[in-house]
Amino acid sequence: MSRTERLYHRTVVWVLFLILFTPLAATLLYSLATQWSATLLPAGFTFKWYLQLWSEPRFLAAFGRSLAICFGALALSCVLILPAMFAVAYHFPRLDALMNVLILLPFAVPPVVSAVGLLQLYASGPLPLTGTPWILVFCYFTIALPFMYRAISNNLQALNLRDLMDAAHLLGASSWRAALLVVLPNLRTGLMVALFLSFSFLIGEFVFANLLVGTRYETLQIYLYNLRNGSGHLTSALVISYFLAVLLLTWIANRLNRERT
Amino acid sequence: MSYLAVKGLHKRYGANTLFTDIEFHAEQGELVTLLGPSGCGKSTLLRCLAGLTEVDRGAIVLADQDITQLPPQRRGIAMVFQSYALFPNMTVEQNVAFGLRMQRLARDEVQQRVQEVLNLVELQGFATRYPHQLSGGQCQRVALARSLIVRPRLLLLDEPLSALDARIRRHLREQIRAIQQELGLTTVFVTHDQEEALTLSDRIVLMRDGRIVQSGDAETLYTAPVDAFAAGFIGNYNLLSADQASRLFGQTFQGQVAIRPEAIRLGVAGGFSGRIVSHSLLGNVIRYRIATEACELNVDVLNHGPSALQANGTAVTLAVDSDSLREVA
Repeated sequence: MSRTERLYHRTVVWVLFLILFTPLAATLLYSLATQWSATLLPAGFTFKWYLQLWSEPRFLAAFGRSLAICFGALALSCVLILPAMFAVAYHFPRLDALMNVLILLPFAVPPVVSAVGLLQLYASGPLPLTGTPWILVFCYFTIALPFMYRAISNNLQALNLRDLMDAAHLLGASSWRAALLVVLPNLRTGLMVALFLSFSFLIGEFVFANLLVGTRYETLQIYLYNLRNGSGHLTSALVISYFLAVLLLTWIANRLNRERT
Repeated sequence: MSYLAVKGLHKRYGANTLFTDIEFHAEQGELVTLLGPSGCGKSTLLRCLAGLTEVDRGAIVLADQDITQLPPQRRGIAMVFQSYALFPNMTVEQNVAFGLRMQRLARDEVQQRVQEVLNLVELQGFATRYPHQLSGGQCQRVALARSLIVRPRLLLLDEPLSALDARIRRHLREQIRAIQQELGLTTVFVTHDQEEALTLSDRIVLMRDGRIVQSGDAETLYTAPVDAFAAGFIGNYNLLSADQASRLFGQTFQGQVAIRPEAIRLGVAGGFSGRIVSHSLLGNVIRYRIATEACELNVDVLNHGPSALQANGTAVTLAVDSDSLREVA
């Protein structure tokens, strides 16, 4: 690689990084500023917005709700998607094409449209959830589906699933034990990636939370929305806080993941 | 009654018949090879023996027990796969111990038997490695150890050497044969490689298009192929049409004639004449391609060094003993 080439590669990476990082840096700066309006740089720095935010019970409650709903949705998707993917890969490989179309639906249908459908669906029937926060768990689970499916299906394809299952069966394992002892541990990486992607996406979700449950049930994003007429410094502190929370969770899980291998 | 008896097995998939009328047997301690080109149904047949695929008709009897309907877990059959099928999340030790863990054996006994079987396949120092840290040959030996540790009544090997390079393949082939004989383990081996089949087997079952073409010991299959396919698949037979053979040998033949390349003697008077077209060095053997008045023939001669090598274009005389001419259907 020549010097100009290397320079070019570095520039591309740095420019991309800068574009992604600048809004975040500005938000961070704003959340730390005492005042920042007519000057090029903030007038002074302070932690007061963070202190104010983190001692605000409304914020803590919203944070808790967001976490609970995200974890609930992710747990539900693990319970439903993993066995389904296993069944497709092992018993009905031909259904994979159909699944690939299905997982695009959450992206293809705009949230505003699918919200109406979801409200209808959960208005009655076996699961009357409309008007309760529970509806979010069942809605978010469908949003997590594409992330889960893609990440895990790559992982599954790298495994020689049929031979592994056959080998385990011949060595005396039932299908359950084979799946649990042989297949599941090998899907851990894919599953982790899927969970992080879904988590970071879901914790920032606003449209469904707003349309399905309404602004009285405050998740993080709804709280942020309700603060829209308040101080910009406070909302900046909120954005940075939840960004750091996601970062921290990702880091912890990554550590746990590495220790076990 | 044989130790393993396969009777009238038949398997269809949709409109395709994968195999039909499969009959063969193995005595205790024998190694039987299912040999055939890819797509002949031999691998599916092996999966049926293991219970991983159901058969439509027929019976499999192992040690006087009809196992045709038993699930794979209860057949007492172990299998080694072409892809190794080692569990990537487990160490060598855990892989090997898996079968005993399923039997809920005491930890001490598991430990001891893992050691024994790792010694047997010469992988003593590798217990704590993961499969991705091993070479192909080592992986396949782990797979073999994992199968042997449960003391199976029947061992199935599905092209276990196909993914390995030539040198390792030969070595592992000998090792498998030695272990199999030492343990007196009845084994069914699947391969498409005739050399592997000839060197390993007590008995060979030659298959084509889901049917058995010929079965018997290696010697019989090599020297007495029943038809043109068998002659073409095993050894490097010269296949002559009845007409070509009649012209060359001055006698009348009804069907095709198969001649082994080493049965044709070069430089012997009293036969017929030809001209060397090309030659290739196979190591200890030189294979000449020789044009005669009727057809071209492959002739194998032991390699006695450069001075004995005959140049292309040389005129030669050839002779074949009449009992080496084998008429095939």
